[in-house]
Order: sequence, then C-alpha cells, then structure tokens
Amino acid sequence: MTLKTIKAYARAVAITFEITLRQNFSDAFIIFAVIVQPMIIAILALWMLRDIGGDIGIFVIVGSGLTGLWSGLLFISGNSITGERWVGTLEGLVASPTPMAVIVFGKNLANVFQSLASMIASYIAVALLFDLRITIEQPWLFAASLLVTVVAFICFGLIMAGLFVINPAFAQFQNGLEFPIYILAGFLFPIAMLPGWTTPISYVLAPYWAAVALHGSATGSVPPAEIGFAWLMMLVFSLVYVLASGRIFRIVLRKARVDATLSMQ
Amino acid sequence: MNAIQVDHLRRVFTTNVGRFRRESKEVVAVDDVSFAVGDGELFGLLGPNGAGKTTTVKMLTTLLIPTSGSARVGGFDVEHESQKISSTIGFIFGGERGLYWRLSGIDNLRYFASLYHVEPAVAAKRIPYLLDLVGLKDRGNEKVEGYSRGMKQRLHIARALIHDPQILFLDEPTIGLDPVGARELRLVIRNLQAEKKTILLTTHYMFEADMLCQRIAVIDKGNIVALDTPEELKKLVLDLSVIEVEVFGVQDDLLEKIRKQKFVDNVSVENRDQRQILTVQTPRGSEAIPDLMAIFDGRRVGKVTSREPTLEDAYVRLVGGDA
Repeated sequence: MTLKTIKAYARAVAITFEITLRQNFSDAFIIFAVIVQPMIIAILALWMLRDIGGDIGIFVIVGSGLTGLWSGLLFISGNSITGERWVGTLEGLVASPTPMAVIVFGKNLANVFQSLASMIASYIAVALLFDLRITIEQPWLFAASLLVTVVAFICFGLIMAGLFVINPAFAQFQNGLEFPIYILAGFLFPIAMLPGWTTPISYVLAPYWAAVALHGSATGSVPPAEIGFAWLMMLVFSLVYVLASGRIFRIVLRKARVDATLSMQ
Repeated sequence: MNAIQVDHLRRVFTTNVGRFRRESKEVVAVDDVSFAVGDGELFGLLGPNGAGKTTTVKMLTTLLIPTSGSARVGGFDVEHESQKISSTIGFIFGGERGLYWRLSGIDNLRYFASLYHVEPAVAAKRIPYLLDLVGLKDRGNEKVEGYSRGMKQRLHIARALIHDPQILFLDEPTIGLDPVGARELRLVIRNLQAEKKTILLTTHYMFEADMLCQRIAVIDKGNIVALDTPEELKKLVLDLSVIEVEVFGVQDDLLEKIRKQKFVDNVSVENRDQRQILTVQTPRGSEAIPDLMAIFDGRRVGKVTSREPTLEDAYVRLVGGDA
C-alpha cells in the first residue's frame, strides 16, 4: 500500500466520520438510544442505589456511558451496511475504490465518538439532579482505558456490520442483544452477582474488559496490573475482530454481487 | 482495445417460490449477450422492460457477478479486477435513490469525491464546475430531500462524474423527468460525448437513442436481436409503412384479429389519456387503410394517418410489439 493510498483512506475515514455524525444528529432514534436512554439509566440507577454510598456515582456514570456505547454499536454500527442498502447508496460505496472496511471504520468511529457524549450527558444529569461531586480516582489510567475501549468497540462494530449482512438471523436478535450485554459485561453491577456459569461468556466479550478497565480506573478499586490485563484482552480481541472482519467483508460483498442484494429492488 | 468488451455474458437469478414447500426457480435475465464499445463511443442499449438492460449494466459496473461469459471494462475483467475498474467508470441508475437526502448536494459530492480518491484541491474546483454543468449551481447548499426528481437525477450525473471517469454507464437517466428536465439532461450527455467520454446509455425512448447514440444494440429477452447504427436499423423497416389509428378502448380480441391479417406485419398500442394509438406496420402503405377500417366494423375510430417508418418502428419490429 502506497503513502498516497494511505492518505486517501485517511481522508475517506475523516469525511465518513463527519458525514455520519451529521446524519446521526438528525435522527431522533439515534439521539434517544445513544444520549437520552443512558441518561435515564444513570438517573434511575443512582436513584435506586444512592443509599449505598461510596463511589457508586462514578460507577453508574461509567456504566450508563458503556450502555450508550453498546447500544450505538449494536444499532448504528450493526446496521451500517444494511442501512446504506435501504437508502440505495450501497452500490455507490461498493463500486468506489475505497474498501468497504475503511468506510465502515469511519462510520464506527463516528458512532463511538457520539456514544462517548452519552457519558458526559449522564455525568451532567447526575451531578445536577443528585448534587454529587464525582471524581475519577486514576484519571490517566481512565483516559488510556477510554482510548483502548474506543478501539475495541470500533473493531467489534466491524464484525457486527459484516455479520448482520451475511446472516439476517443476527439482525433479528438485534433488540434482544441490548440488555444481556449490559448485564453480562458488568456495565451496571459486577458480574460476581451473576451465576457462575455466565462468567466465561463475560470473559470473551470485549465490552466486559472495557467495563473492568473503566470502572476500575474511575473508582480506583482495581490494581493497575489488572487494568493493564484488561487493555491487553481488548487489544487481542480487537486484532481478532479486524482480521476476521477483513474476511467477512470479502465474503459479504462477493455474496451480495452473486445474490444481487447490493440494492433493494 | 475496446473500452467495453462483452462476450457471451449470461446472468441467471435464483428465487424461492412457495410458502410451505419452497422451491428454487431460475430466471434468465441475460441469456447470451456480446458486443463491444469503442473508445469515445456513445453506445445505446435499447429494450423493453425486463429485457436485461439493467442487469447487463450492473454486471459491467461490477455490481453483479456474471453467471457465465466474460466482460472487460477499460481492459479489466469485471469479476476479478473490480477494484481496478472502479476509478475508471462512473454510473447512474434511473430514480431518486442512491443519494444522502439529509445532506446537501455539495456534501454528497464532497463525500463521493473523497471515496473516489479525488485530491481535495481538485474536488474544490470540480464540485462547482459539475454543479454548474448539471444546472444546480444555485441549489448546491440545499438538502437533497428538498430537490425535485429531475434535480436528484442531475445530481446523480454530477456524482458519477466527480472523479472524471473515462467510461460512463447511464441506465435510463431521463426516466420520470419532465420534458424540459429530460432535454437538459440530454444536452449534458451530448457535452460529455463532445469530451470524448465512452458512454453506454440504456433507454426505451427511441428518439433519445436516435438523437444521441452512434450505435445501438436492441436487447430482448436477454439476447441482442440487432446491433447497428440508427440509420442502418431504420432500414430494417424500409419495406414497411406505418398506419396510426386513434381508437377508444381497444379490446384484446380486436388486436388479435388485426395481428392475424396477412397485410399486417406488426401491431402495437400506446395509451394516451382516454384514447389509444394503434400503430400498424404494413408493406401495403395507405392502401391497407380501407381493409383495416373494415375490421373495426363500426367501432368508434378517431384520426387515421399514414407515415414513413422511424427507429421506433424498427424497434417494434425487432421486439415484436412488446415495447
């Protein structure tokens, strides 16, 4: 790959990021799923748990932010190829010299970036309503955890976009996948509260490791070594997702050209 | 080397039928199509609905994989070298879809310019030029959702030209446009022809093909039934004259009766508001009018005229009145 091609792909990612954000902000469903719903979850959770005291405020904010990230990933990134097909633009994208994976990467970047806004929205809502002073115990570790989480979620989105196209059965379970991941990944309460048999499932989910790193660094309840291990797990999973998604995209696009499903007739 | 080379192209679609006992059914959209388009040529692909025009164009634009046969565009194989073809071609399919309606015309062009690896400085000059070319200079900042159908079609043309491709595929670009919009679009196509672009145009408007195309292939039921210049195609019906009869509510049995007459070569019907125009091709010219009127047997008939055959008549003869 030449430097010129890399620059062209970088420009394609940048404009896809911009265009996706602008389109998302004019979509009421996306605003609800990514900003309003996490805020409601944060307010309800804090209202129920406020008597526990301690660092519950930051736990709830980080957890509700993660719910926004996951919902955005599931509904927006998951539909990033099928959505283009619905509006009739997929043919134009597939026929362009920019690989589909690069375009979907730009879209996921925008979706994850937008979802981070939900964490800020939750922070403001909780701070105002409950008059809480919220502090992040290990800000540098938290910032680094957030960065690795963003990478992991973007890569996870690449896989989901491909899977939702390759097999419509995945898309049928889209709604049903939202809350189980909130629970299995420990967004709102520790997975130690769940039955033991669910733990292995949590361990193979990148969002679980994101929750460990973000909750741990925000509350200061997890040693730095464990946070580092969570980063490692997220990066390993990300690598697997990127390698698998390259293959999935090739299969998806070849299949779509064979089955004539790039456009909706 | 030809810009487009098509050899025995075939495309079969498989669909499932039946609710409980689902069975696969094969539909042959393109049966056996071969043709070549030279550099800088404006080539027409004519045919009735379902003849295989769009399927052929989709295979040539790499959006569909052929079932068998081969095609090369710009010297590259459409199945195995699609990435190399992508930057050399532009395409539009008739209709309003394929644009981002919540974005402005300019933003749509900016996006596709980047995806087609157009340098930002080049895109900054090319976008205003293209908006001017397609008559959207003053509306470029407006959201596409507010555009008329014709404006969206013209924006499609600008999108297809954003990377200055040498080969263009225009699939029924004027369909659904009002007469003024269609005329403006034909002017744009003429200008592109003057720029020596290779253009493959599909249409079922005969006068459009006659006006624009240097050569025309007529496709019917997935096969090329004729391929020549418009002038040569018209010669296919030099032995015929055309009688046009204005009728009101023509029945199928009457049409069948006319079709069976020895002096009738072909019959087609075109609806115009409350009336129909019955077009009868006959080697007997106006002499056949009395015999034709006798078949109507007192039914209400309007104006009856006789004229020389056109490209449309050649087309009707080739596709057997299915147009």
